[in-house]
Amino acid sequence: MSSSEWVELNFGPQHPSMHGVLRLKAKLDGEIVKEIEPVIGYLHRNAEKICEMTYFNDNLIYFDRMDYVGAMNMEVGYLEAAEKLLDISISERVKWIRVIMAELSRIAAHLVWAGAYGLDLGMLTPFFHCFIEREKLLTIFTEVSGSRQEVNYMCVGGVYQDITEKAISEIEDFVREFPKRLKDIFNMFMKNDIFLSRTKGIGILDKETAISYGVTGPMLRASGVEYDVRKAEPYLVYNQVNFDIPVSYKGDNLARVLVRFEEMRQSLKIVEQAVKKIPEGPYFNPKAKKSLMIRMRGEGDVYARTESSKGEFGVYIVGDGGVKPYRVRVRSPTLKNLSVLPELAKDVMIADMIAISGTLDLVFGEIDR
Amino acid sequence: MNILLRLQELFSPLGHLVSYILAYIFESLFLVIFVTISLIVMIYVFRKYMARVQQRIGPNRVGKFGLLQLIADALKLVGKENILPRNRDDLPYKLAPAMVFVSLVLAFTILPYGDFFYLGSFTVTHSEVTIILLFGIIAIMPIGEVLAGISSANKYALLGALRAVAKDVSFEIPMMLSVLAIVMMASARTPSSLSLESILSSEFLPYGILEPIGLFVFFISMVARASYTPFDLGESDSELVSGHSTEYSGMRFGMFYMGMFGSIFLGSLIVSILYLGGPSGPLESSLGFIWLIIKAAILVLISFTVWLSMPRIRIDKFINFGWKYLIPIAMINLILAGIITLGWGL
Repeated sequence: MSSSEWVELNFGPQHPSMHGVLRLKAKLDGEIVKEIEPVIGYLHRNAEKICEMTYFNDNLIYFDRMDYVGAMNMEVGYLEAAEKLLDISISERVKWIRVIMAELSRIAAHLVWAGAYGLDLGMLTPFFHCFIEREKLLTIFTEVSGSRQEVNYMCVGGVYQDITEKAISEIEDFVREFPKRLKDIFNMFMKNDIFLSRTKGIGILDKETAISYGVTGPMLRASGVEYDVRKAEPYLVYNQVNFDIPVSYKGDNLARVLVRFEEMRQSLKIVEQAVKKIPEGPYFNPKAKKSLMIRMRGEGDVYARTESSKGEFGVYIVGDGGVKPYRVRVRSPTLKNLSVLPELAKDVMIADMIAISGTLDLVFGEIDR
Repeated sequence: MNILLRLQELFSPLGHLVSYILAYIFESLFLVIFVTISLIVMIYVFRKYMARVQQRIGPNRVGKFGLLQLIADALKLVGKENILPRNRDDLPYKLAPAMVFVSLVLAFTILPYGDFFYLGSFTVTHSEVTIILLFGIIAIMPIGEVLAGISSANKYALLGALRAVAKDVSFEIPMMLSVLAIVMMASARTPSSLSLESILSSEFLPYGILEPIGLFVFFISMVARASYTPFDLGESDSELVSGHSTEYSGMRFGMFYMGMFGSIFLGSLIVSILYLGGPSGPLESSLGFIWLIIKAAILVLISFTVWLSMPRIRIDKFINFGWKYLIPIAMINLILAGIITLGWGL
């Protein structure tokens, strides 16, 4: 069939498997997807521009709403940059608390992904099992911050309130019980031949393509590149904990699934160590009090990168000596990961296209910002 | 004695012809009510079972234990506005859901249900060729799906219809081949081997024990026909939104929905009649209907478990499975059945 006879079909923005508001303009030859063009921007909220109009401390809530399934990874990313620019130091205790929270958020984000990926492939059951586990994490977040999803827990100079004994014991319970539950969820996928046939050898992303598209995070590691910002450029106290970076050399859907599941186990390992190592100390730097907001001025430009659950999350802040940032710019990992989709989903079946786009772990709050 | 003759006896003062017509009408009504109630019970059980599997609670608001939830849902569907796409092909668009549902109910009239205490059997149609009739009626249902897909002027629906055609073509054949094996074996012991009732009466062992391969092939084909999750290619919700029923709303959608659950129930009934001995059970006498329902219910629960634990198979692998594995297996089964028949003949 010649290209003029291809049928154009829109998947999204309202479509059951488009993870929010992705729109895919697909050209179909029967069941085969010939060309695909992602269209984004349906959730654009101007977050970066709004950040220029508010104080450094208040910007955090806009970052919470970027990767809303793992909000505290975004907070860590912004604060890495903002605290460097404002020259505010944080105590050791705060660093450990942030590591614990970032890793728990990573698990929460990966659980959402695992459930949604099951739905993409037509499995209803794992979704609920994942969300039951995520609910336990959200209970922990409520205990430490008072909020479930967009927690706004951290702030410039520390965290909003100290982590309580109750929260720590809840985290310890979670660390104890989660591996067994994770194994159940993992087996629900991996002991299923149809699941393996839908993922094995499908959507292969080779190393060179991944690097040239700027793909990061679990997707890059599934393509055989051992790169993780937590190891390559340790921030907070990641150099004091013992963990591995899962790497796969296959680059297909199954590799990305396995890498994400292994990352959850590694995150759990980090949390387990961090809960034991967490020192006493102040949870907040008084220099960054809210009443002193107008004294917090930053000049120069700062780029900080952290490893969010989706990949390398970079925040670039320019300060002109004022109380508000002059310019904020976010390097969104998911946007870069999405840009490789037209390459991956070429000449595949519709079902495979959905299976591939599921492994990208798209969260539109972060792509459109 | 069956329910038809009981009713005819009741109406006999009105004359021979009138009493028979009235008896047929009432029995058909009876059957429609039976089918509707069993579908409602089935969907309720499905939702509760799904909730248990997924560690949820399930419907529990409307009525005690949520028992009236399905009735509330049906009322909601009836009360909803029927949204009609502008470019639709009007007649087929409106005919399609009715075709699916009517052919489903028709298929229920043929099955031999066994006796139920004083009332006797529910079967409406008695014929010497019920198997041909049954599979003829079942074959109407996919036509409804295809019509729905073509007439609703939607690309998702069209793709869903194409998939439905591909699916039905590749799974009707193994299904018919395994039925043929049963007819062959029955022909050694009964003169009218095309009638479900005489097949039932001819068996000394359930055919599922004599030829487990046939049971396997037939059950898989029935799963494929009913199109739920491992094989729900026609309406795969994460790819084609809702496939051929994308543009339907209100009770028209409800008919497709009931059609799907109905074909699971119908498939389970047919499998238990053909392979698991149907109405026969340890306590003979007048409990045949109950035995049949118990057997079908177990099969329905197996189907639900499969539904809830499997991802969707890809269309090309699915069709490969039909043509490259199921049809050869069905052929081997046919040969085995021939050997068994010869053994009986001697």
